[in-house]
Formats: sequence, C-alpha cells, structure tokens
Amino acid sequence: MAATLTAGPARPRKLLASRRTRVGILYALPVVVYLLVLFVYPIFSTLLLSLKNADGSFTLHWYADALTGVNLSVLFTTLRISAETAVLSLVFGFLLAQAITRLKPMLAGLAMLVVVVPHFISALVRTYGWIILLGDKGLVNQAMVDLRVPGAPFQLLYNEIGVVIGTTSMMLPYTVLLLYGVMRGVDRRLLAAASSMGAGRVTIFRRIYLPLVAPGLASAGLLSFILSLGYYITPALMGGPKQTMIATLINQQVTKDNQWNGAAAQGVILLLLTLAGLLLVKLASSLGASRKKRSAS
Amino acid sequence: MAEFGVATPSLTVAGNTPATASGKALSVVALRKTYGDVVAVDEASMEIAAGEFVTFLGASGSGKTTTLMMIAGFCEPDSGTITVGGRDVTRLAPQKRGLGFVFQQYLLFPHMTVSENVAFPLTLRGVGKDEIRRRVGETLEIAGLSGFGGRKPRELSGGQQQRVALCRALVYRPPVILMDEPLGALDKKLRDQLQVEIKAIQQELGLTVIYVTHDQEEALVMSDRIAVMRNGLIEQFDTPRELFERPKTAFVADFLGAANFLPGRVEKHDGEHTLVRLDQSGGLVKARRHQLGSGTSVKVAVQPGRLRACAPDDGFCTGTVETATYVGTLVRAGVRIDGGDAPLLRLEVPAGRGPVAGERVGISVDPDDVNLFPTTEQGG
Repeated sequence: MAATLTAGPARPRKLLASRRTRVGILYALPVVVYLLVLFVYPIFSTLLLSLKNADGSFTLHWYADALTGVNLSVLFTTLRISAETAVLSLVFGFLLAQAITRLKPMLAGLAMLVVVVPHFISALVRTYGWIILLGDKGLVNQAMVDLRVPGAPFQLLYNEIGVVIGTTSMMLPYTVLLLYGVMRGVDRRLLAAASSMGAGRVTIFRRIYLPLVAPGLASAGLLSFILSLGYYITPALMGGPKQTMIATLINQQVTKDNQWNGAAAQGVILLLLTLAGLLLVKLASSLGASRKKRSAS
Repeated sequence: MAEFGVATPSLTVAGNTPATASGKALSVVALRKTYGDVVAVDEASMEIAAGEFVTFLGASGSGKTTTLMMIAGFCEPDSGTITVGGRDVTRLAPQKRGLGFVFQQYLLFPHMTVSENVAFPLTLRGVGKDEIRRRVGETLEIAGLSGFGGRKPRELSGGQQQRVALCRALVYRPPVILMDEPLGALDKKLRDQLQVEIKAIQQELGLTVIYVTHDQEEALVMSDRIAVMRNGLIEQFDTPRELFERPKTAFVADFLGAANFLPGRVEKHDGEHTLVRLDQSGGLVKARRHQLGSGTSVKVAVQPGRLRACAPDDGFCTGTVETATYVGTLVRAGVRIDGGDAPLLRLEVPAGRGPVAGERVGISVDPDDVNLFPTTEQGG
C-alpha cells in the first residue's frame, strides 16, 4: 500500500495512454487543425513574407521602411488615435454602464439592447450615418447653428475629431458590455458598509468601487485599444490624409502598390504592438498585486 | 439625573466618545416608517444608555431590522427623531452619523487585506499611520485574529470574517455599534462561541451595542435589555429577567417563555393574590395580585418550567400525563387536563422525579409565577 502511494504522480507516458486523454485529443483535433491552417500558417507566412527580399533572400529593410518617414508617423498616428479612442470609449462606456446598472432590470435590458443593436448593422452603414450627422449641413452642426453656438458650424469630419467620434462609437458596445458585467458583480452592500463607517461618496467611489471594477476597466480599455489599432473603415472614411492609420496604409500597399512584403512587415508590427499591449496590462496588474501583497505583510 | 437600572460600562476606554450628561448613548422618539399601507415600525421610542447591550428581538417582518436601518441611516423614517449622544441625526446620511455597523453578510472589502479592512475607517478619520498600525493590531488581538492581518477576506472562514467585520466596526470607537443578525450565517456551534466572544468584547471595551436577532436564546444570552417587537410595535423593552418573569403581553410570554395559556375568569382578590377560576377544569388558580376587575376574562400564562406535578387533587387542576420525554436534565411532559379538549399542558420538571406517561397528576404553581392577560386585549 505504502509502495503504491510513494510511486508518486503518474508519468506523462502513462497519462498519454489513458483513455480519457486519447478521447480528449480526438475532440481537440478539429480545433487544432482549424487553428493551424487558418491562424498559425497565415501568421507565419506573413512573417516570412515580411523578411523576404524580392529575390527571396533574407532582409530587414521592409521593417526599416515601415519604421521610418511617413510610415513611422502613420504608426504614431495609429497609436495616438487608438489611445484616444480607448480613453474616450472607457469614459463613456463607464458612465453608460454605470447608468444602466442603476436602472430597473426591465429598463436595463432595454438599454443594453439599444447599446448593442447598432452593432448588428454593418460598420460601413454606421460610418456613413455618422458622416451624414456630422457634416457641415448635418444634424449636429445645423442644430448648433440654430442655437447660435459661437463658431458653428464646426469641422467634425475628415479630421481627428471625426475619426475618434467614429471609432469611439464603434468600441462603445464592447466597453459597455464588459464594464456592465463587472459592475453588476460588485456587491452594492459593500458601498453601504463603507458609508456606515463614515466614507463619503467620493471616497467610496475611489477606494471601494473603482478598485473593484478596475480589472474590468483594464480589459475594456485594452480591448478597445487593440481593436482600434487595426480599425480600417471608419478612419478611412471619416478621417483626412493626416489621420491615415496603419490598416489603411496596409490596404494601400496591397491594392495600389502591390507591395505585399511591406504590408506584411506592417502587419507583423501591428501584431507585435497588440501583444505588447497585452503584456503591459498583464505586467501592470501583477505588479499591482505584488505591491499589495508587500504592503500588507 | 442619574439613570438607574441600566448597566454602566465596566471601564472607560480612551477614544470612546463620552456619553452625554444623562448617560444616554442613543434615543429614539416616536419613530415611524410605512411602506405603502404597511406600517413597518409604529411609533417606536426607547432610550439606550452608554455601555448597554440592547437587542431588538422579533420574527421577520416585526420591524426590528427596519428600526435598525433607520438608526443607521440606510432608511429614512416617516416621522420621529433619532438622537446619538445628544445630537439629532434623524436626517443625516449614514456616513455622517459616526456609528458602527456589522452586517449579517460580513461585507468585508474583497480587494483589501484584513488589516486594510480594519484600518479603512481610521484612514477616513485622518488617523496617523503609526497610530493606525497600533490600533489595528490591538483590535485584531482582542478578536483573536493576530497574524491574520495580511490575509484576504476570502482566505478566512465565516466566523473569522465576521470577527474582522466586528473589528472594523469597533476600531474607531463609534458611540453605538449596530449589528444586524451578525451570526445568522454561521452554524450553531460557532454562533454560540461568537455570542460569548462578542459579549466579552462589548463588556471589556464598554461598547454600546444594538443587536438584531430572531433567536430568543441569543437575545437572552447577550443582552442587558431586549426590545421584543411585533408588527412594528415594541411589545416590551426590558431586561431578560423581567421579560421572562413579568411579560407585559401574552405575546411576550409566548415568544420568550413559550408559556402555557389557560382561559379563565377573575373571581376575586385576596390580599396579595388574585384568584382565577379556570374555564376548563373549574379549578381555582392563585396568581400574584393583578389590577383586574372581578369577572374579567383572562388568560393564565405559566411557563412549562414553573409548573409542578403533585399528587392528584392537590393542585389547581388534575390531568393525565400523555407524553413524557426525557431530555437529559429535564423531563418534558404533556398533560391532558380533565374536563375539556384543550391543548396539552406542557411541563418541564427535573428528571428523576419526573412523571411517567399514563400517570394521574395534579398541577400546582407558585402564585408569583402566574401572569394574567385580559382576553379582550390580546387575541393570540
């Protein structure tokens, strides 16, 4: 009896041989094949493409191209617009989700529907909708002119304001959904408990509520940032030449210049930026956790 | 000016808000709360002295929690006033009342450690870092939680979490600590243990506590005074002994003492005593003097433990023992009284001399243990 106990954990080979594992592999196979063919292979071929010269030899000059001159400024524009979008969609998403959590269940469901349903409509259609609304003779400017707002009509299209309005509206459902879920999970009675100890509304918000929804804020912000990085239609239609984003540039390279290698390099850079973003958030959250642990002990 | 008949704190603790001149930590005057047509709390009034442990006892819907919530500020009264240490707090927000609150569901902040949870109310009050560390350590030690400061609430058991919640509520020495069924989520054994612990801490620190529970035993074990509530009304607000021995209403006699009720009619007064003719057996039972006119129909209330079995025809009535259950130190007996179909009379007599089933017995009682309630006043 003691001997079998001391034999320790099952060896990997034994694990592989077990029936459960074999069945598990069988179930996982379709997904693995799917991912290999449609995910891993394209990424690797893109990577290879970005490292190949016209004659097939190894080179890094596509990356050098992508990170110099106009291309570099496009990259920065992309990062800036994505960051702006992330912040704005986080702020509006927070306010909206906060408002929805205070509604009665029926109304909250209705409000969620209003937030999500526009997403069923094609992004192209919605973008044109914004163009109609924000144009010089659009509803927004017309209303402001009628109200004699000084300076109206404003230029709300074909500049950064237009792009950010567009992308923010596209990201809003994601942030609202994510934050709403997190906010619903916060026990309201904790806030009452804090107030019973003498905490005012601002303190409760800052020291209890915000820390409890912080993980949701981080993931919602990151999600909208990452999604904005690769966004194409809205910036292309609502922005001016100065708001060219990396996705637009990639499209131009492929469709106009037939320059696949350069496009591939920029694609890889986009991917790396996304991964870097993910890593950053992961790092920040684990850093926060360890700092907490140290201060506690 | 001095208030008698209330417990005074056994020792004063530095930082404790001094009680007012009259010694009242909290007073509630004519507090009323309605939800639509339902009266949740009806004109509740009481005065609680500093250092006193007061329990609101009642079934669910009796208004005990609503009253507590109004004192805490989570629920606004329709009318009435709440005064804490001489300050009218009736319309103040919870955070401005400076009270402590322990919830049934602990409600520790999950993102903070035990120490941070306990320190939280102190940080709100701008207490210095070293002072916070000292007081948190001290408080955790009182609750037997030294060494748990670095843990997160989810790493603790229910009983430990509630101890932390208690620490968090008393660390800033609020003038009154409110507790809403704090032991309701714990199992029986732990509950018994924590009752004793909470009571010990309350006495050691001289805390003023208002405690809500539906558990009679818990109320009796812990309280200096108990407010028995029913349908939004305070039936009686007294010491456990008074409630037990001298219930003012039939409800209190039933709720706390599980009394037997025998219908009868006041026959005459005889010096120190009132004599009641029982409807069922025709026997005459002697009670201590009550201010009731002759001929008033009454309920004679006697607790099971105060009835004695004696030789047939020696007592105020006679009957046959139908059930006799041995429960350790006691025998619980059910006696069928002659001459009617009333519920069994319940007796609790010391084991050993206990009656056995089928035996003919007489029932006697000390007149001092008999309470009378006019039937017209109380239905139950």
